[in-house]
Amino acid sequence: MITAEQKPIDEIREMIGPFKRILVLGCASCVAECAAGGEKETAMLGSALRMAAKMEKKEVVIEEKTLDRQCVNEFIVLLDDTIDQYDAVLSLGCGAGVQAVADMFPETPVIPALNTEFLGETKAQGLWMENCLGCGDCMLYYFGGVCPLARCSKQLFNGPCGGSVDGRCEINPEMDCAWQLIIDRLSRFNALDRLEDIYPPKDWSRKQGSGPRKIVREDQQR
Amino acid sequence: MYREQQITLGLFYCQNVPESREENRQALEEEFGKSLRLFPIPCSGRLEPVHLLKALERFADAAFIITCPVGACRYFEGNHRAKKRVERTRKILSDIGMEPERVGIAIGSKEAPKTLAQQAREIFREISLLGPSPVFGQE
Amino acid sequence: MSHLKQILEKGEFAVTAECGPPKGADSEIVLRKGDLLRDKVDAVNVTDNQTAIVRMSSLAACTLLRGAGLDPVLQMVVRDRNRIALQSDILGASALGIGNLLCLSGDHQSFGNQPQTVGVFDLDSIQLLQTVKAMRDEGTILGGDRLSARPDLFIGAAANPFADPLEFRVTRLAKKIRAGADFIQTQCIYNLDRFKTWISTAVDRGLPEKVYILGGVTPLKSPGMARYMKNRVSGMDIPDEIVKRMEGVPKEKQREEGIRICVETILRLKEMPGVSGVHIMAIEWEEAVGEIVERAGLLPRPGF
Repeated sequence: MITAEQKPIDEIREMIGPFKRILVLGCASCVAECAAGGEKETAMLGSALRMAAKMEKKEVVIEEKTLDRQCVNEFIVLLDDTIDQYDAVLSLGCGAGVQAVADMFPETPVIPALNTEFLGETKAQGLWMENCLGCGDCMLYYFGGVCPLARCSKQLFNGPCGGSVDGRCEINPEMDCAWQLIIDRLSRFNALDRLEDIYPPKDWSRKQGSGPRKIVREDQQR
Repeated sequence: MYREQQITLGLFYCQNVPESREENRQALEEEFGKSLRLFPIPCSGRLEPVHLLKALERFADAAFIITCPVGACRYFEGNHRAKKRVERTRKILSDIGMEPERVGIAIGSKEAPKTLAQQAREIFREISLLGPSPVFGQE
Repeated sequence: MSHLKQILEKGEFAVTAECGPPKGADSEIVLRKGDLLRDKVDAVNVTDNQTAIVRMSSLAACTLLRGAGLDPVLQMVVRDRNRIALQSDILGASALGIGNLLCLSGDHQSFGNQPQTVGVFDLDSIQLLQTVKAMRDEGTILGGDRLSARPDLFIGAAANPFADPLEFRVTRLAKKIRAGADFIQTQCIYNLDRFKTWISTAVDRGLPEKVYILGGVTPLKSPGMARYMKNRVSGMDIPDEIVKRMEGVPKEKQREEGIRICVETILRLKEMPGVSGVHIMAIEWEEAVGEIVERAGLLPRPGF
């Protein structure tokens, strides 16, 4: 899923400063799963911002709403009837959600309340780890299910580097060395010989070769 | 000078706290009147920061949670979670410029258990110095 | 073009040293370091923004040294340049008369003085080796386009016998050789036992017949430096007895002790099958190199 974290409240307050009627808009999908922008977090942020405004004796209306999915038009249109009541939307969606809402309502400023982080896995309660870069050309088979692009600090395709010690990465001793994980997994499957080959340079055009990517699926279209 | 009763406390409490049955709650509410709003919850682990924030936003000058003793939670870790959520709420309060002490936690003790009423009085003493919440203005 | 290559091919025990470019635009510092190393070593490695700290470019400093009559080894890291810039600099280096290229991944940017930069890592060090080899031997760049003239380079790579996983270290060395390494310079050696294990595994696999291995050494300046490297630098293996030796001498004798350890290590390396030379990394202490080389009995160096 897509992970995110809330921006510092000071930064949010500065961005919403000029507006008088604000819709705080949550998203019940990925950012709810990572406890950053779901209904609960949206209620908290709304409440905190209203109290902050009251303490400064500012006359503002701050209301909350959470969409099932902020990045899908079918859900965003649910705001059609009420959007005119607000002069800004404070979105707790990921970067895609913020932009989808902005695309739908070109006249309304849409302000991000979150910093979108990465494609991650929920490792444990309250712990999310980055493990996919969305490179457009999955290499996980070759590397035994551990992505060196997302999980090796130096993105080595032919690792490990000389900083791998006791299975830890030199950048941060609390981090696993992705290459130790790759070697461990491949040896479990008797596939270590796969690493005797030199992995060729990555074809980055699949990720960024022709600008922003899009997926077109005729069978899914009307 | 203000009187203690001018402060309104939103008090959440775990229903395993001694003498916290319905009749105890009613007696306490009679004693403190509008200064005390009580919210029994089955386990302090059910408390979310949003509950404390809403209490502060709508009516309370302070919002507290009383938990059962550490190690005595019938759901194992409820009071441990409550503690972390109070900490999180305090961080939000200081971020918006409010005294973080307006939310707090009272963790029960196995050795010297206290009743709901005793705890409530102690919390009132603790918050009496804070004065009315800046959210509701001075007048 | 490479003097280092000639020395190694003649079967001489080679000596290289490291020279860090200045944190400024002063060519005099580079030339002064060059003077200190002239006639003491066969080639001089010039680091490429080592530890991710901004310094004069390796290519520029190599060019200055070349002009002063030394044989520079251009260190090139994949951290800061994509494949367009890497291949372009390789051609430029050869055009400027630089004869040796050491392919590295580079210290991670989070360690340096520009932690907010983006790490490029378009290629890794092994893919860079392969790329240089194809440019030199096939006359082609990545994607297959032909060069109008091939770069003439003696290609090097690094190896760390002290990192984990141990069993994979020799595999990785073999991979670097297959990718195109003509010579290897290793991480600093203090733990001679572990180095011996590594080099004998390499000998068993016949690797020193395909590549020249130069053992890396760094003279210690103080017990503090020894402890720092032992505890804080990942992949650095300094046995306790080395730290104790440094701690066991009075302050004014510490540098002498560091040089002594370094010379002893070189003498051991000279006797080890599979070792073709030594690479002296005297960090901001290039003055020590001449004395180390002399006391290790490696002077005079064969002429240019």
